[in-house]
Amino acid sequence: MSAAPNIETAPSTVAAARATNVMVVGVGGQGVLMISKALALIGQKQGLQVKQSEVHGMAKRGGVVFSHVRFGAEVWSPTICKGEADVLIALEWAEGLRWLEYLRPDTGVFIADTRRIVPPFACRSRRRGATMAYARETPAEVIDKVSEGYALDAAAIATGLGEPRAANTVLLGVLSASMGVPVAEWLAVLEMLVPPKSRAINHKAFEAGRAWAEAAHDDASLRFDAGITGDVTHADMAEVSVRLDINAAWCKGCDICVKLCPERCLALNDHQVAYLKAPQACTGCHVCEWLCPDFAIEVHTTHQVSMTVSE
Amino acid sequence: MNDLLEAPFDVKDYLRLEMMPHFMCPGCGHGIALRCLLWAVHELGIDKNKLAIVCGIGCSGRVGAYIDANTFHTTHGRPLAFATGLKLARPDLTVVVITGDGDCLAIGGNHLIHACRRNLDLTCLMLNNEVYAMTGGQVSPTTAIDRLTTTTPHGNAEPTFDACRLADAAGASFVGREVTRQAPALKNVIKAGLAHEGFSFIEVMSDCTEIYGRKNDLGESPEMIMSQKSDMRPEAFGNVADQPFRANRLRAGIIAQRDRPEYGSVYRQRAAAEQAKAKAKS
Repeated sequence: MSAAPNIETAPSTVAAARATNVMVVGVGGQGVLMISKALALIGQKQGLQVKQSEVHGMAKRGGVVFSHVRFGAEVWSPTICKGEADVLIALEWAEGLRWLEYLRPDTGVFIADTRRIVPPFACRSRRRGATMAYARETPAEVIDKVSEGYALDAAAIATGLGEPRAANTVLLGVLSASMGVPVAEWLAVLEMLVPPKSRAINHKAFEAGRAWAEAAHDDASLRFDAGITGDVTHADMAEVSVRLDINAAWCKGCDICVKLCPERCLALNDHQVAYLKAPQACTGCHVCEWLCPDFAIEVHTTHQVSMTVSE
Repeated sequence: MNDLLEAPFDVKDYLRLEMMPHFMCPGCGHGIALRCLLWAVHELGIDKNKLAIVCGIGCSGRVGAYIDANTFHTTHGRPLAFATGLKLARPDLTVVVITGDGDCLAIGGNHLIHACRRNLDLTCLMLNNEVYAMTGGQVSPTTAIDRLTTTTPHGNAEPTFDACRLADAAGASFVGREVTRQAPALKNVIKAGLAHEGFSFIEVMSDCTEIYGRKNDLGESPEMIMSQKSDMRPEAFGNVADQPFRANRLRAGIIAQRDRPEYGSVYRQRAAAEQAKAKAKS
């Protein structure tokens, strides 16, 4: 690990030579743009030129969102080139990895939430116990590669404070510890950006993030949770045993369950009665039970104690 | 998701098993609506003995017969009138009216608007299948324009009622709409309607495969259920309040909810005041 980059003093000294580049990435709905707005405001308050450029259009909730913030004595381009971001702040783990090449290799600071938001297309199979196509790099591996890295479960910290949505403010608190702007100024900016009813919680989240970062600055062993593995199983994908009871006497063969089953695991037999054709494909989603107008299907699901997933 | 997996709801606890399987045609959406009603009742923990179901005439009128609770099968169009009397006499009961589009909007249209205006604590479930199915497929007030029925062999020329706008305008304090395809969402709307104090009007967009779908080439029941999704647009698609008639652009979910004095409690307060007055006189 090399020394922290000199962005504390950026406004006066480094900025004269070049602008400070901060890249904020995450998925829709996390508050990427809120962080970049806060940064832009902070930059303006220092009397610097600020340029911010973002992509959020098609993201809605869950899609990719990123924002470039550049501030300095003189800023021309609104976007950051590969390998030129002084700080990469990722609100979602895999998004952080996706944009890692934008980070300045020698001095860049990487700040990431370790919380995984698995995109729908990573769930290639909806079957019970299926593995997901999601980044397998552990925080330990990634922090080792970057010049200075911090990986924390900001979502858990925010949830502990009573508001999971404040995870972005926790990360802002972590970021603030790497910049030489007084805390009071950050809090003033936060107050401008958040609605009055959530000021208190954002204040607390910021302080929590800042406290975490101050501890991690002093002790490199605190900068990531070594316990996090590359295991990509989701808690919701815990093994479930499913039993389908089809009451043949009540089934009128309307075909609704056959056509509307997302896994197509039901079929009609020669007597026009539904039966489970592919029991191994059934995920126990209950759609057939809900949409059976004749109450002929009952789905019984039970959680198994075993959480192991076969590759 | 975990709550869902552990929900101990068993529809059989709420059905008259000796009457099953029910008489409705294969693929009729009324069965799904019935499940959602019972599901909502279960989740609210309403005692079966304190639940009264009042039904009118038609396919929807037969739905109540399968519910293991206190059920009434009343005259055509009058379930709301019966339910009003029942609720006023027995305010401790949860009274649910199950009615159809013809029963509620044509024959019982008058009762509907006055029930909305009066705001007695009833839940009215209107199962809208767009046709008088039981009597052979005649045109109903909600039949879409150009649709074929036995009484409109060259296509329906009459404009369509938007039942939710009607109920809203008449003053119902809770108005909701959902399709049978979205069963959990339908359950939630019914649940909110049952929990609401005052008159709750819920339009359930059901489907009639045998009488209506076949005549209009709308496909078999799975196709009809699947097309429901495109019948309903989320609010994000634009302000649909300007669209008076059902034309593939209907709002779903809870459409209106307002606080108005509940008629039953107002009535009882007045009655008690009058009684006290009479007592003082004598």
